[in-house]
Amino acid sequence: MTTDTIIEVKRLQKHFKEGTVKALNGIDVSIRRGEVTVVIGPSGSGKSTFLRCLNLLEVPTSGQVIFEGTDITDPSVNLNLHRQRMGMVFQHFNLFPHMTVLRNMTLAPMKLLKKSKAEAEEKAMQLLKRVNLADRADAYPSQLSGGQKQRIAIVRALCMEPEVMLFDEPTSALDPEMVGEVLDVMKQLAQSGMTMVCVTHEMGFAREVADRVLFMDEGRIVEEGTPDQIFNSPQQQRTKDFLNKVL
Amino acid sequence: MSIFEEWWLPIEAAVNDKIPLSFGQNLYKEIYMNIIKDDRWANYLNGLWVTLKVSFFAILVGTLLGTLLAVLRLPEVTDLRYKGKNPLRKIGVAIVHFFSWFAKFYIDLIRGTPLLLQVLIINFGIFGTVKIDKVIIGVIACGLNSAAYVAEIVRGGLISVDKGQTEAGRSLGLSGPSTMVNIILPQAAKSALPALCNEFIALIKETSILSYIALTELTKAGDYIRSRTYSAFTPYIVSGLLYLLVTIVLTKLIGRLERRLANSDH
Repeated sequence: MTTDTIIEVKRLQKHFKEGTVKALNGIDVSIRRGEVTVVIGPSGSGKSTFLRCLNLLEVPTSGQVIFEGTDITDPSVNLNLHRQRMGMVFQHFNLFPHMTVLRNMTLAPMKLLKKSKAEAEEKAMQLLKRVNLADRADAYPSQLSGGQKQRIAIVRALCMEPEVMLFDEPTSALDPEMVGEVLDVMKQLAQSGMTMVCVTHEMGFAREVADRVLFMDEGRIVEEGTPDQIFNSPQQQRTKDFLNKVL
Repeated sequence: MSIFEEWWLPIEAAVNDKIPLSFGQNLYKEIYMNIIKDDRWANYLNGLWVTLKVSFFAILVGTLLGTLLAVLRLPEVTDLRYKGKNPLRKIGVAIVHFFSWFAKFYIDLIRGTPLLLQVLIINFGIFGTVKIDKVIIGVIACGLNSAAYVAEIVRGGLISVDKGQTEAGRSLGLSGPSTMVNIILPQAAKSALPALCNEFIALIKETSILSYIALTELTKAGDYIRSRTYSAFTPYIVSGLLYLLVTIVLTKLIGRLERRLANSDH
């Protein structure tokens, strides 16, 4: 594992409703290349907002997000170019329902990476094989199970060959029996060296796969450390309270 | 002499001799006078052709312009902000805001005034001194009018698409316009299609108002026949049946399109 920083977050704040709701209250954190960072915390703690600020789906009120050396909160940067290098996976999959699985996966590479149809499809089929869904290439999203949809969503993002993958509670909307298949894909991805930031309630996944765990509460990072430090010897009372409730 | 005229001769003789006609003879008289005589059926067909031409192009104008108006009214556009220093982008945002405001104003204006009035203003006011084909005036008037309604229909469709779709598109790096065209609009069109079909049918029928500016479309054609034969019912009924035929065919076509688009939700 290398240690160079890929995303640096500085004094990040996000306020809603004219500042009456402070979702993020000054976040400073570095995401290192090749590392799996898992963000945990009670609901309403700002973890999803934090993740969505990383690719500016949520525009921060103040602070900086420096991705590969560029401050992407600067309005003059071409955000679309930087977003191509950050894949994102959503809680509700957000596959494009009017397109087949294959089209879902080839749309962005063909439009943005200027790949030919054949090239894009070859890459897509390769990834589909990796998640054992090659036989569903011509299916529409509505014909897939939740677990299948989420696996497709992951490989759709991978088709853009991103540097970082952001996961926003990827298993929260799944039936329990489908959580495993999605986590397996994520584990496989982590082992391949992908930089990942995951917001999740899957403590088992955090413990097993994370290199680093961030515990958030009330818009701040309350505690961070290795899974061992956070789960076995948390220092902060709020971390202890939270872990007592979920474990 | 055609068979229709052979059938007509005894009835004509009966009329001349003031012999009362049977129901069947009366019916044939109406048909002969209003459709067959002097090739009057061609009047209806010419009128139908004009109605189809005006409707087709008005639907095209209305749909394209209406979709543009709908997009301009989306919160993504009205709430567009630019905090940077690039003066060109600042001007760009200001222009977009102006168009967004204009879209709202336009929709209110068009929906709030009668189509007939709009037709008269465009015909006598704007193109009063210009020699221009009435078909073009009809397309402009009906197209501009329909755009306001289409805008609200499409806007409804756009709003119904889950926000996650936009986020998924943008997170892949697609630009706002590209996300709109490739991801949001196709889904919006699907849910807006039944209401759009309604609007297209309304537009086809409303082109009849163009008879007011002496465009010989289907209604005017029927009216012309009435002025020749003094039959109060038959010419209008023929025109009406032709409108019905057009709208039924359109409904069928859109129904087929709807089923094709529904392919993706098994």
